[in-house]
Amino acid sequence: MNRVRNLILTIIAVILFALFLNKAPELLNGYWQRILNLIAINAILALSLNLIYGITGMFSLGHAGFMAIGAYVSALLVLTPAQKNSMWILEDIYPWLLNVNTPFIISIIIAGLAAAFFGLIVALPVLRLGGDYLGIATLGFSEIIRILITNTARLTNGSLGLKGIPAHTTLFMSWGCLGVVLICTVCMLRSNLGGVFRAVRDDEVAAKMMGINTFKIKVLAFTLGCFGGGLGGALMGNLITTIDPRMFMITQTYNILMIIVVGGLGSVTGSIIGSALVTTMLEWLRFVENPITIGSINIPGIPGMRMVIFSLLLIVVIIFRREGIMGMREFSWNIFFPKPKPKTKSKTEISDTILEVENMKLRFGGLNAIDNLNFKISHGQIMGLIGPNGAGKTSAFNVISGFYKPTEGKIKFLGKSIGGLSPDEVCREGMSRTFQNIRLFGHETVLQNVMIGSRVRQKYQWWETLMPFIFTDVIREDEEAKTRAMDLLSQLGLDEFADEKASSLPYGAQRRLEIARALATKPKFLLLDEPAAGMNPQESDELMKFIRRLRDEFDLTILLIEHDMKVVMNVCDYIHVLDQGVHIAQGTPDEIKSNPRVIEAYLGAGAAVEGSVA
Amino acid sequence: MEFNIFIQHFINALSLGSLYGLIAVGYTMVYGILRLINFAHGDIFMLGAYFVYFATIFYKLPWAFGVIISIIATTICGLLVDRIAYKPLREAPRISALISAIGVSFFIENFAVVVFTGIPRPVVQPPILMNPIEFSGGVRLIPLGILVPVVSFLLVGCLLWLLYKTKPGLAMRAISFDIETTRMMGVSVNKIIALAFGLGSALAAVAGIMWALRYPRVEPFMGMTPGIKAFIAAVFGGIGSVPGAMIGGLILGFVEIMSVAFFPTLSGYKDAFAFCLLILILLFRPTGILGEKLEDKI
Repeated sequence: MNRVRNLILTIIAVILFALFLNKAPELLNGYWQRILNLIAINAILALSLNLIYGITGMFSLGHAGFMAIGAYVSALLVLTPAQKNSMWILEDIYPWLLNVNTPFIISIIIAGLAAAFFGLIVALPVLRLGGDYLGIATLGFSEIIRILITNTARLTNGSLGLKGIPAHTTLFMSWGCLGVVLICTVCMLRSNLGGVFRAVRDDEVAAKMMGINTFKIKVLAFTLGCFGGGLGGALMGNLITTIDPRMFMITQTYNILMIIVVGGLGSVTGSIIGSALVTTMLEWLRFVENPITIGSINIPGIPGMRMVIFSLLLIVVIIFRREGIMGMREFSWNIFFPKPKPKTKSKTEISDTILEVENMKLRFGGLNAIDNLNFKISHGQIMGLIGPNGAGKTSAFNVISGFYKPTEGKIKFLGKSIGGLSPDEVCREGMSRTFQNIRLFGHETVLQNVMIGSRVRQKYQWWETLMPFIFTDVIREDEEAKTRAMDLLSQLGLDEFADEKASSLPYGAQRRLEIARALATKPKFLLLDEPAAGMNPQESDELMKFIRRLRDEFDLTILLIEHDMKVVMNVCDYIHVLDQGVHIAQGTPDEIKSNPRVIEAYLGAGAAVEGSVA
Repeated sequence: MEFNIFIQHFINALSLGSLYGLIAVGYTMVYGILRLINFAHGDIFMLGAYFVYFATIFYKLPWAFGVIISIIATTICGLLVDRIAYKPLREAPRISALISAIGVSFFIENFAVVVFTGIPRPVVQPPILMNPIEFSGGVRLIPLGILVPVVSFLLVGCLLWLLYKTKPGLAMRAISFDIETTRMMGVSVNKIIALAFGLGSALAAVAGIMWALRYPRVEPFMGMTPGIKAFIAAVFGGIGSVPGAMIGGLILGFVEIMSVAFFPTLSGYKDAFAFCLLILILLFRPTGILGEKLEDKI
């Protein structure tokens, strides 16, 4: 119902806007038409940078370079041979390039693809870096692209630039392109894939454990963003009709960054609003640089003042309203209507030895974190892994779940060797885990957190999400994922929180949410890292029942690390004890309780003697 | 290549490299402590050059006096930047401070355009520094070429002494290790951070003055490229390490000068070398030459 209503409202809004654009040449003068065009182009650029930075969390400062590629490719394709002949003065143009000529539409698509291709080449090495290094490296690439353009005169006419590019960018063209980009972006971000992008931003480690190949996701987002950069650059070139390498300095990237910061990092709506505001303001501010005459008083223009005001605003925004206008929120017609509440309904899956660890060793330099660990877990068992601090329990978890490579030894999961697989591959095999220090995707809702977990089991491809109305399996699979997620939430008693932000949940609920999210990946084997940490006695009692219920209802095998001995002794069928990386004991809870070596490890040698006496 | 020409290139590279190093030290100190790329650092460097220009050429003060005034004024600017644009964001996500830094950089550049105008201004070089000295073997060197590396190394030496032999230096190293714990040990963290900004800015001022003498002119955007390159030098040497910044700067200086000296056809690509170098080091040794490994805890 709401969907139909919202669709109708959207269509009406689009038609009204199209009518306005149709009349715009009569209503507005050239100056305002240009601003309107720039708003659309800047919005495309902002959306694409926002996809890279605001949504997927990669700090990239390379957009100007990708714009340059787009602008040049498109210009070279639409300029006529005669124009090219007259423009290349210092050096001759390559003969093959002279006669290449395509229609405008095709040229901007090729421009986008060329930028995306360069983006892909840049992404493969550079995206292995994180944070600030990525920013500097992309800035570096952007400058390299500019220097290449300046120096390959036979291809680009060097520092002279290109002139007389036909002004193909009409209002319908720029806003039409923005429309297509917007629809594709919104569809993609609304699908479960959008959640995956945001999950990579919020917590890459947890995303890996949800079966997401985070590197691939980052490359995808970066490449798509570069496509947008190239497209925007191409439209810009065909609007301004003159391009040269100096247009694509780092300042250009900063402008786009300003737009997304003002609008709100991670918000599509924010990018559009930010573009409208910043573009209009930048144009309007030109007045401070032009001389003004009021009556007989002449105020000379002040060069540079425009950017002074602009940069001051950027600083003020970041200090006083860091989240920008929209924060991470989006526009929706629903804000005009009261909100109904959804309600939903369930189902689950079965080898005998689930996990087999043989002679596993893990060394960090000279330190033996784990020395020769051996154990087996059978189907349906709840096994405990205990030991004093620094015993190597979490390290063992990290090896089993793929975050560390074992220095030696074999890990067999469901009969298959998984030693050396990455966490996302391990997850796909049917293993999932929680973390000692809860790792949720804090900015997402509870429901989205769980849905991100189910992405690993969905079959649709990323490009299908751009046009879900054609590839309807996107919608169907996302609906299924949602139903399942709601089921999981209600089974874990979290359904009332479904639409709340994960970070706003009370502690115990966050722990359960982490488990729900792990269950969404349809695991056969679950690793729980200190599930009772920080719980009071009553909560840990509930936790014990809950862990047994988990095994029975979801047909799981569970391995848990826990310091709360009451939980361990009550819930585990079998226990292994580690001390300083060495496997010192194993047995049923009763055997472990009276094992002198275990008591020694926990309480020291003296206590062991007393323990054996008692 | 003839020997005397080579020596000239060598000295040239040494002085360019030590200038990069001197700027890089400021980046590396701030990054080591706050994990913040102080994008405005290159512009602080530019201010240093302008202040000495105005002191000596505009107000006709003696050089020595002008240098001191410039260092003091630049240091104050650096402290102001920290106080106004970074301090309110200490608790914010790191990315906010980074964007603020970009804003500040933008602001200083354009403010300089407004106040000083965008026209490059020639700097008068004192003849003492410029009259070439003849050495045996036909080697001709100008005193400035020798002065620059000597001053740079002396200053970095002083900085190292301060970092490793004094209490504030110890505090600074402690902060870069763990800011919260240092705070709990009773160290006034904000003062030490201000000290880092102040020292970095003072060194940038000296670099700016020597840069202005070397390329005898000043303009509002002169800090942009050297700033980014110096940051690259800091990453190359291992960010957070002061000796690393100097080594990174020298390597960058030598690569730029020598590659153009030996392959003149590449001169158009000169500015790209730094970035290629950066990408290579990030791929093969992301922590730089002297950097330590930082890892995420799972």
